Amino acid sequence: MKLKSILILIVSYALLVSCYSIRLKVSNGQAEPADTEREDALSGLMVREMDTIVKVKLTTDESPINIRDCDSGALHTIEYKNTFGGILLYLITFGRKRVVKVKYVCLKDPN
Amino acid sequence: MARTSITARTRWDTLHKNGPFPLKWFISTKLERKGDMPDPIDRYNDAAKEIMKLIKNARDAGDGFRALGSKWSMSSIAHQKDRMHFNALMNLKFNISSGDLHSNTTYDHKNLFFLQCGNQIKEISKFLEDQGKSLKTTGASNGQTIAGCISTGVHGSALDVGSVQDYVVGINLITGFGANDNLYIERHSKPALSDSFAATINARVIRNDGLFNAVLVGLGSMGYIHGVVIEAEDRFLLKRYVRKIKKETALKLATTLDFKNSEFKIPGETDAQGNALRPYHYKVFINPYNDQDEYAIEAIYKKPYDPDYKNKFGDPIPFMKEFVYRDLIYLLIKISEKFPKVIPKFIEALNGAILPKEDKVVVGKLSEIFWDAGYQGRAFACSFGVDHKDSAKALNVLADLAKNEGPIPGIYAMRFIKRSEGLLAFSKFPITCMIEIDGIQWDGSQHIISLEKFATRMIEVLKAENIPFTIHWGKNADWNFPGLAVHMYGNNVKQWKDIRNTLLSQEMAKVFTNDFLRSVKLDDFTPPTDTGLIDNLIT
Repeated sequence: MKLKSILILIVSYALLVSCYSIRLKVSNGQAEPADTEREDALSGLMVREMDTIVKVKLTTDESPINIRDCDSGALHTIEYKNTFGGILLYLITFGRKRVVKVKYVCLKDPN
Repeated sequence: MARTSITARTRWDTLHKNGPFPLKWFISTKLERKGDMPDPIDRYNDAAKEIMKLIKNARDAGDGFRALGSKWSMSSIAHQKDRMHFNALMNLKFNISSGDLHSNTTYDHKNLFFLQCGNQIKEISKFLEDQGKSLKTTGASNGQTIAGCISTGVHGSALDVGSVQDYVVGINLITGFGANDNLYIERHSKPALSDSFAATINARVIRNDGLFNAVLVGLGSMGYIHGVVIEAEDRFLLKRYVRKIKKETALKLATTLDFKNSEFKIPGETDAQGNALRPYHYKVFINPYNDQDEYAIEAIYKKPYDPDYKNKFGDPIPFMKEFVYRDLIYLLIKISEKFPKVIPKFIEALNGAILPKEDKVVVGKLSEIFWDAGYQGRAFACSFGVDHKDSAKALNVLADLAKNEGPIPGIYAMRFIKRSEGLLAFSKFPITCMIEIDGIQWDGSQHIISLEKFATRMIEVLKAENIPFTIHWGKNADWNFPGLAVHMYGNNVKQWKDIRNTLLSQEMAKVFTNDFLRSVKLDDFTPPTDTGLIDNLIT
């Protein structure tokens, strides 16, 4: 019985955190560079992350999340991550709570 | 005022993690906001003041100071243990008007552009393409800054064009923090811009071929390159083919570059007599562990620009993303995806690895054919320049080394570059063949030769075979090898040092010296007796 509970817990956790990510990128723009020690596809770039839960009210349903820290006023790359847990939260709150896991890179200010 | 942040650090690393290296201060400068300083020339001059202030701070602290761009070099050429200045956000771009030209210039002002040091190749291409222009050549990818490119000699494989530094016609160099230390340097034999243009950036003009050619590949040690004037050309298209051809044919082409009389022909790429055309770009890919009968070659032909090219040939970028024959590391990474991650097993698998086929022909702009490389993990790259007539022999010697004393987890390629006038340009032969060995980093053990040892042995075997060579300044090598710089460049080394020691005061020479320069023994300061080395030779 105990083993079964542990197994259920493990499977549930794996399901909740299981995810996929999608990266969108401008093909002819220069991403904002940065000196970092990253060792992923965004190495050498100024990566900003957003990891939050947005509470949506009826009056704010269509209101976007503002990105204020791009000097160029434009985005170069967005990596959006979706988890099963996030979808579950969306369903059980009838869409009022939405998990936002986003990495983004601004377009370099062309000056 | 330009906005500078200074961060205490203990270490710094290259993009491909060839370090880490120790570091005290990481400095980064952003230009003043446009709204607060709308005139771009004001912002450029404001940045120059900031650079001078940072140089003075370094001098006052007894520290070294070095400009840093995209950190793509795998050698330690960009590293300075005291203060490194990240300048990739200093990227102003200027058109040149006819009124900015020198009275004796032969350049067309429509092809000249003044670029601040931190402009990266990709954004320069976009800026030029929006005006119907193009760079003449780039490296295999597009992330390097323009100042980084010319300081280290970034090149492609454009046989009759040269390297990035070879289309630079003017350099704004800051050699200290005094009023006279902001210089605008050109060739006296080929002036480009007027004194009045130089006055707008508060620079003192020196037109002198010797000085210009020394600064052109200055290894980041001639001062701080704040801006460059480049010559672009009208936009064009490139048509890219990858073919497997007989090894003998590929190597004969490498040593002769006689495409006209070669048996290698691509239908449609021939003249009226049916002879093969000379391509814009020729590159050979080699797996040294597999004695295959065929090599994969990449041949690219220059075509007039056609605004309808995407409708006719398709968008090149989705194809370029899928292709394996891009830069050499990318090819190896693609091969390695199918093989075990354990290095000895991987190398074993390379023995049987046949380089893949790639038949799709693409047409695109320079910026599309040599598109994003992205991060490819911890990598090494060695690159030797030899006279193309020696290329087959040198390849044989270096491939034998990998087979007999290796193996190492890397594969080879050959690219070709026209001679550069830079005193320390590794493209010093009439046409230089760059033999490249790129791969995945590994730990040396009893079973596999270390990269350090392999790098030493590469120099030794080329010397033993009496093959004159150079080494790419931004790649891995045994830079401490005794007498290396003089062996590669002969009298040019003394001339380069004499010019540096005339151009810089002793204290500024110290500021702009790093461990890499000490390794290659280019750092010693003996003021030359001929102080006319950096005279302005025409007005």
